[in-house]
Amino acid sequence: MAKVHKFRVSSTRSNQMVCRSMAAAEAKGTMMRTAGRYLGRWVELGDRMLRNFGTCAYLAFDRRPELRNAVITATEEYGAQFSISRVYLECALYRELECNLERIAGRPTLVAPATTLAHMAALPVIVHDEDAVIIDQFAHASLHSATDLLRDVPVHLVRHSRIDQIDHLIQSLSPRHENIWLVVDGLYSMFGDFAPFQELAGLLDRWPQLHLYIDDAHATGWLGTHGRGGALTHFGHHKRVVVALSLNKAFGAAGGALALPDAELKTRIRRCGGPMLFSSPIQPPMLGAAVASSKLHLSDQHAATQAELLHRIDFTIAAAERARLPLATQHRTPIFFIPCDSVDQATDEAQRLLSEGFYVCPSAFPAVPVNRPGVRFTITLHNELEDIAALVEAAMAGIQRRGCSVPVALAAWNYGALAPDALE
Amino acid sequence: MDRTGALDKTLREIYAVISFPEGGEPNWEGMKTVFHPRARFTRITPEGIDYFDLESFQAMAMEMLDRGVYTSFYEEETARRTHVFGSLAHVLSAYRTKRSPDASTSLANGVNSIQLLWENDSWLVLSLLWDEALPGDPPDLHQLFAAEVSCGESA
Repeated sequence: MAKVHKFRVSSTRSNQMVCRSMAAAEAKGTMMRTAGRYLGRWVELGDRMLRNFGTCAYLAFDRRPELRNAVITATEEYGAQFSISRVYLECALYRELECNLERIAGRPTLVAPATTLAHMAALPVIVHDEDAVIIDQFAHASLHSATDLLRDVPVHLVRHSRIDQIDHLIQSLSPRHENIWLVVDGLYSMFGDFAPFQELAGLLDRWPQLHLYIDDAHATGWLGTHGRGGALTHFGHHKRVVVALSLNKAFGAAGGALALPDAELKTRIRRCGGPMLFSSPIQPPMLGAAVASSKLHLSDQHAATQAELLHRIDFTIAAAERARLPLATQHRTPIFFIPCDSVDQATDEAQRLLSEGFYVCPSAFPAVPVNRPGVRFTITLHNELEDIAALVEAAMAGIQRRGCSVPVALAAWNYGALAPDALE
Repeated sequence: MDRTGALDKTLREIYAVISFPEGGEPNWEGMKTVFHPRARFTRITPEGIDYFDLESFQAMAMEMLDRGVYTSFYEEETARRTHVFGSLAHVLSAYRTKRSPDASTSLANGVNSIQLLWENDSWLVLSLLWDEALPGDPPDLHQLFAAEVSCGESA
């Protein structure tokens, strides 16, 4: 049954539309570029070194010596590739990694080759034929792809973070379905807003049939005890919540992981979750990096590392407020989005910032809605405070020059107040 | 209100009912008062042409809203040429879509070709056919409205 459509656009046509949009961006020189040297704080594009505001390596672990050394050690011990399906034989590093991740997450954890593949392994196993699925329209594309695999289950789209609509839909679905799975992101990757965790907790209390599947890829590592993310901070002990984590991004390595409510479910997904059987395993060098990263997460210093990033996030928010730089949301996260009035404006703005020495990402449909183009930038421990101050100043100068309407429309864009206290 | 005034009112209403703010949706009840029950909608895109009636147009629009393709929509008329004869009218209406009424630039530009029918003392849209300009290439309105091709005795 899959997604419940009111009108169907063919995949071919949908691909053609996306291809046209990407080709236009590529022609403008803002997409599909190839980097030269990468130093964390700096990334080379063409013949210039740019301040890097495009990476999701929020904790700068991608350049940490501990991870780089672990890559070398793991390569020497296990080779560049361990090319046997995990269903037969897994590299020894998997066991150490999962053991550490269980301490980080505080619950049984299963490593997958990527977060996308974790979704594709888990959802067809945990969602049964008698169930129904509700998915937030802005949930990550990988979640939409994974729910497309649920052939016999109705999948309903809901407007972004609209708890009232979700509640209404659960009410209508509950008499006909044994379980209802709500699929959301913990931290939305484009506009940088958190899921409404407290309201979701209310829904879990109200509806015993409700289960949550949360992709917390962008909050893994930099948020919560040992970097378990926002979703596990709120729902770590809840039996009806499954959380997907990323071992890329802040974690600085490769792969994804499922934090599961019990060991039995872990075994079931391990045994029959498609990509757990048929996809290549994570390569030993990156398993080594992931193990090293997990040790850093479990170390006493990790909270201080997280606090350093939060300091930079707060510095960015304060600088933006002082400069009156409009942002799509003001949640306390490392993802920032400057709304623009058109795709051309977003592209021009990104180009201008590139020319002034800042690497940022112009964003347009299909990454964001057609009517919400803009410039996305991320804050990481690679960025020095002076870099952030310079970027905010340069971005605001562009807005003043072009006379953007965005401040007027900001209220309608903002998905809520600052991050809940529990996350601060 | 005379027919000319009524036509202007209907055209304003077309743009009003299809526009909606953040989190909203088109004014479906309003559309029923502006569009004839037998109205046809034809959308031309580089990937293909779509044909709708009121019901399927609503289904298409709702699917786009559900999928988050749009979260708000604002379209305004930028120029118009009108021909009226008896109970029929044809309007070539250039438009631009914007993120909001205050937006400094447009998201897209195009032309609506609108056929209207005078029925029960009001103009109702019988056909709405539109094509959008490619990004960075908005329609040249002077050229568009000057380029009428005529033939016959009075040409």
